Amino acid sequence: MSLLQIRDLNVRFTTTDGEVSAVNGINLDVARGETLGIVGESGSGKSQLAFSIMGLLARNGRATGSIRFDGAEILNARPEALNKIRAERIAMVFQDPMTSLNPYMRVADQMAEVLMLHKGMGKAQAVAESARMLDAVKIPDAKGRIRLYPHEFSGGMRQRVMIAMSLLCRPDLLIADEPTTALDVTVQAQIMELMADLQREFGMAMILITHDLGVVAGSCERVMVMYGGRVMERAPVDPIFADPAHPYTQGLLAAIPRVDQKGDQLSAIPGSPPNMTHPPAGCPFAPRCAYVMPVCGQTMPGLDAFAPGRERACYASLDVVRAGHAPQPDLREAAATDLDEMQESAHDH
Amino acid sequence: MFGYILRRLAVAIPTLLLLIVLSFLLMHAAPGGPFTQERALPPQIVANLNAKYGLDDPLWRQIVNYVWGIVAHFDFGPSFVYPDRSVNQIIAAGFPVTLTYGAISFIAAVIVGVSLGVAAAIRQNSWIDYLAVGTSIGAQVLPNFVMAPILVLVFTLWLGWLPGGGWGGPIYWIMPVVALSTSFMASIARITRSSMLEVLGSNHIRTARAKGLPESKVILRHALKPALLPVISYLGPAFVTMITGSVVVDMYFSTGGIGRSFVDSALNRDYAVMMGITILVGALTILFSLVVDVLYAWIDPKIRY
Repeated sequence: MSLLQIRDLNVRFTTTDGEVSAVNGINLDVARGETLGIVGESGSGKSQLAFSIMGLLARNGRATGSIRFDGAEILNARPEALNKIRAERIAMVFQDPMTSLNPYMRVADQMAEVLMLHKGMGKAQAVAESARMLDAVKIPDAKGRIRLYPHEFSGGMRQRVMIAMSLLCRPDLLIADEPTTALDVTVQAQIMELMADLQREFGMAMILITHDLGVVAGSCERVMVMYGGRVMERAPVDPIFADPAHPYTQGLLAAIPRVDQKGDQLSAIPGSPPNMTHPPAGCPFAPRCAYVMPVCGQTMPGLDAFAPGRERACYASLDVVRAGHAPQPDLREAAATDLDEMQESAHDH
Repeated sequence: MFGYILRRLAVAIPTLLLLIVLSFLLMHAAPGGPFTQERALPPQIVANLNAKYGLDDPLWRQIVNYVWGIVAHFDFGPSFVYPDRSVNQIIAAGFPVTLTYGAISFIAAVIVGVSLGVAAAIRQNSWIDYLAVGTSIGAQVLPNFVMAPILVLVFTLWLGWLPGGGWGGPIYWIMPVVALSTSFMASIARITRSSMLEVLGSNHIRTARAKGLPESKVILRHALKPALLPVISYLGPAFVTMITGSVVVDMYFSTGGIGRSFVDSALNRDYAVMMGITILVGALTILFSLVVDVLYAWIDPKIRY
């Protein structure tokens, strides 16, 4: 049985402009120890999907469907039940390290309270254990710097603190919501490398939410591409880059800037994401899709398996999509190479 | 931090001197004097009185003499209107009373206001929220000079539960405290509510929830401190306003605080009493803005002096 099992998840927000559908009927399974990348542009619902797993939706948000973690239903569970799972079994690293730590508390207190709460440790023991974890995320002089306040750390160091804090209880699942988006490029590479190392070391499953395909290429086993709160395509990482089966995935890949490509024109997907206050009736990508057919505007195509482990939600036939896609087999290599270069230059610093 | 406090206290001295000179000049610029009465006194008597109290000296000499009296003897001079009482005596009699009901009002306003504001914020758009917001708007539009006579009417004249005035045991404190603290309580509740709502929506509170902390700990340990920052910056001036706002309380409840003396001295041109109370309030203002700054630094580690 998979560690995390999401069935028909819908997330709606009540706003003054009306109801916003952020997530629409998503099914998802995450196995123990695996790394799943969730890719999509801003507003595709990927963060709200993560927040609904943690029960952290904003007040005006409402989630329906089912989220089972290790067999137990956690969607809209009682706060006491959720609090037993949060940090202890599912931990989360947030996008903005500059504001996600409490600026009024010493790092030692912020970290120690997690262990005191979940592991029943005393203060001194919890601080010592927290310092060891800071050491594990390669913060120099961890014993001394744990006494500092968050503003005394740089952005990259704060994200290391966040990661260390999330790993304190050795969770089964780590959700990283754009963990490197707010950081410098060189720091991004260091953080991604660190997270990959820690994941191997602790053997936890990871959901990595990002809009950066380079990050996905370098660290994920499986990729889920989201658009307009729906899953467009889901596949192991290699076929996503080598043989994208959905027009949106194709567009995303084509939009990666390439150092080795001639010309100064950056490729982009024409149009803009749908307004989720009035979601389109059919496929949300239809208005921007090169392969659009009349049926696309009427009903959403199902997410169908077409090869082992590979699913797509598209009415256009696979052959048509494949034919329209100029073969660029080195795309993944290029994205991964960029990451490697970043890591190398990071090491030089 | 200690050095900073000393520096701030040192800066307070020229500030107070400036306050003394300005109020002295303003006071003397106003028409009339302590011995102006409806039936004019013979010029010779006025001249003698002026000579006795040094009012015939040039203004700069009067100021120097006055400041010297304070610095050398901590003597704020005699009252011009009540020849047998010194300003020191008048303040010593009134200030403890004012400070007593002022401090109680202050503490009551903070405790009730903050609790109400926090409750309203964590139960936003519930009946508690509407009750708190409604009460605080009501309390704020009801000035204390309207509330005081209503209190006397209800609790003294109709119900006969509370004494209508005077100063004695705690039973005499109730109405002055209610009249004085209500509007401050309302302001504190409003400020707390809106700043708590803002803090509850911030990223570090989401992190605290992701740790699995129960909501009570999220509020008390992570949200309360930052939510109180705007309240604290309001409290400094509010405390001083409470002390000076005691004018209405003293008038309605005959509590005998310095508020009454302040008004009387202004009407009677009792220069020395007016100056004495002005300096007292000025010194309190300086002291409390220092207390606010120190509290700020204590709460927010990013502030270092």
